[in-house]
Amino acid sequence: MRSPARAPALAPPRGFRDILPTEARELRAIERALTDTFMSYGYAPLEPPMVERTNGESVLAGDRLIQFLDRDGDLVALRPDITTAVARLVAQRYRDASGALRLAYFAPVFREQPAMLGAEREYDQAGVELVGPSGSLADAEVLALLAQSLDSCGLRGATIEVGHVGVVRRLFDALTPDARELVLADLRRGDRVGAFRRARDAGMGEDALARARAALAARGRDVESVDVEGVTDLREVIQLARELHAGEPQWGVPNLALVPELPYYTGVVFEALHPESGFPIAAGGRYDLLLGAFGAPRPATGFAINVPRLHLALFASGWRPSRERALVSLIPGADPRAAARLAARLRSKGVAVAIGAVAEPAGMTVLSAEAVDGERLRLEGGRIVTCDALARELA
Amino acid sequence: MRPLRFALAQGVLLRDAAAALRAIGLDVSGIDGDGRQLAVRSGDLEYVLARPSDIATYVERGAADLGIVGKDVLMESGARLLELVDLRFGACRFVVAAPKDALERSLDEYRHLGSLEVATKYPRVAEEHFRRRGIAVEIVKVAGSAEVAPQVGLADWIVDLVATGATLAANGLAIVEEIASSTARLVANPAAYHQRRDEIAPLVERLARWAECR
Repeated sequence: MRSPARAPALAPPRGFRDILPTEARELRAIERALTDTFMSYGYAPLEPPMVERTNGESVLAGDRLIQFLDRDGDLVALRPDITTAVARLVAQRYRDASGALRLAYFAPVFREQPAMLGAEREYDQAGVELVGPSGSLADAEVLALLAQSLDSCGLRGATIEVGHVGVVRRLFDALTPDARELVLADLRRGDRVGAFRRARDAGMGEDALARARAALAARGRDVESVDVEGVTDLREVIQLARELHAGEPQWGVPNLALVPELPYYTGVVFEALHPESGFPIAAGGRYDLLLGAFGAPRPATGFAINVPRLHLALFASGWRPSRERALVSLIPGADPRAAARLAARLRSKGVAVAIGAVAEPAGMTVLSAEAVDGERLRLEGGRIVTCDALARELA
Repeated sequence: MRPLRFALAQGVLLRDAAAALRAIGLDVSGIDGDGRQLAVRSGDLEYVLARPSDIATYVERGAADLGIVGKDVLMESGARLLELVDLRFGACRFVVAAPKDALERSLDEYRHLGSLEVATKYPRVAEEHFRRRGIAVEIVKVAGSAEVAPQVGLADWIVDLVATGATLAANGLAIVEEIASSTARLVANPAAYHQRRDEIAPLVERLARWAECR
C-alpha cells in the first residue's frame, strides 16, 4: 500500500546501503591499518574495474552474479571478487613477467544472495595475491601477512585454520579420478555423509575410509599422525609463517577438516576464524589452476578479508578506532571575520574546526566554542581561552 | 565463552533426537517434557528447540554450533554447513507423485503443452530435480498439503515428502519416481566445528558409533 503522501522511495535498492559517517570512519581506520600492512610486505595497490565480462571463468555460479548486457551486447557482471580480475589481468598484462608479482586491494565486490550480514549485495574485500612463486616460503608469507593484517587492526583471539586440499585429495587416491572429484565436490559443500557414502559405493575399502575419516577430523597435534604426502609441507608452512610473524601464540592451527567451498584451490588453504563470528573473517590459499583458465598458467596464492565481518568481530570484542583529537565546533559571534581568523589560526595548529553547530559528530568528541574576538573563544561553561591555549590543550 | 549450543528440531524428530543424545550419555531431561522453554541449559550444553526449517539457519549463521535436522530440510534450505553423521532415524523420501490413473494423460499433456504444473512445499528440491531431468515444469508453491492439488486441478503432479506413502494412496496418488531419501543428520557450523573441535569431536564420535550400531 502506498503511503497517503506518496513519498518517494528513499531507501537504496535492496542489498545496498549508505554507510554513514560513524561507521565509515571505523572502516577507514581498518582500511589504513590493512593497506599499510600490505605495503610493508611489498604488495602494491591494484584497482581493477568494477565490471568484468562474464565468460564462464567466474568463481561463482551465475545466479550469484549481478549481471547485465551492455550496449555492445556483451554480458557483463559487477565483479564478485578481485581474485578473478587479477587472474585475467596477469594473463593480459604480466604474461611474460618473471619474478614475484605482489598485488593488494581494498575494494567493494558485488554478489547476489550472499549469506552474510543483512544479505548485502555490496561489501568491501581486502586482500593480496602473490603470483609466481610456489613453495613453502611463498605460502608462509601470505599466511603470515593475513595474521599480521588482522593483528594490525587490533583483532585479538582469532585463529587461522590451515588445511591442505592436496592432502585431502590424496586421501581418496584409491578412487578413479572422476569419482574422486565428485567426493571432493561433496566435501566442498560440507556434505561429509554424502562424500563417504559416495566413496564407499565407488569401491573404497574400509581401511582407507577409516583413515580418511580420521584425517578429516584431525586438527592441531592430531595432524602429525596423519601419514599422507603433503602433511609435512603443511606443518613447515605454519612454522615458517610463525617465524615471519610471531603474533599471539598458536594463531596458526593445522586442520585437515578445512575444505573451502571454491573449487580452484590446489594446495595449502586457510581461514581466519573468531569466536564472535559464525562465518570466516578471511579465506585464502594456493590456487595454481585459476590463472591457467585464462591461458597463462602460473602458481599463485592469496587471501581475501571480508571487511564487514572483520569490523563486526572487532566491534563485538570492544574495539573502537583510536582516539583522534576533538573537533571544535566554532560558533561565530557578531563579527564573522573574527570567527574566520580564529578558524584559520586553530587549523594551522592542527586543530580540526567546523564552523557552526555539528549535525553529525560521526563518533568524534565535539567541543563547542564561541568566538569572542579574533583571539579568544568562550567554551561551554563560560571559561574564556585564547586560541593558542586551546590548541595546546587539545594537542 | 558461551556453552556449546545444540539446536534440535521440534516435531517428529525430537523424540528420536533426545533418545540418541540420552544414549550417548547426555542429560536431556529438560527438552523431552512438555516444557514451554525453548532454550534449556543442561550441563556443558545449551539446547535450543526450533522449527526444523529454522535449524539450518541457526547453525549456518553460528547462532547454534550443532544441530539435529532432517536431510530433507537441508536439501530445501541450501544452507552451507557441515553434515557430520547420518543418524539413521526419521527416514522419509522426496517423491514425484501423480494421480493413479492420469499418468498417461499428463504425459500426453506434456507433449502437447510443453510444460507440467507441479505443486509442492519444496520448490527448491522440485526445481533442481526437474532441471536435472530436463523436464519443463512450472512450480506452484503451496504452504500446506500438496496431495489435494491434482484433485482440484491446481497442478498435474506433486513433489512431496513421504514416510509410508499412505497419505498419497488415500488421495489417489501413485509415486512416479523417487528424488532422494532422507534421514536425520548431525550438522555443525563450520567455524564452530573448527574452533571448538575439542568439545565437538567426542560428541560426533559417540553419535557416529551409536548410529552405526542401530
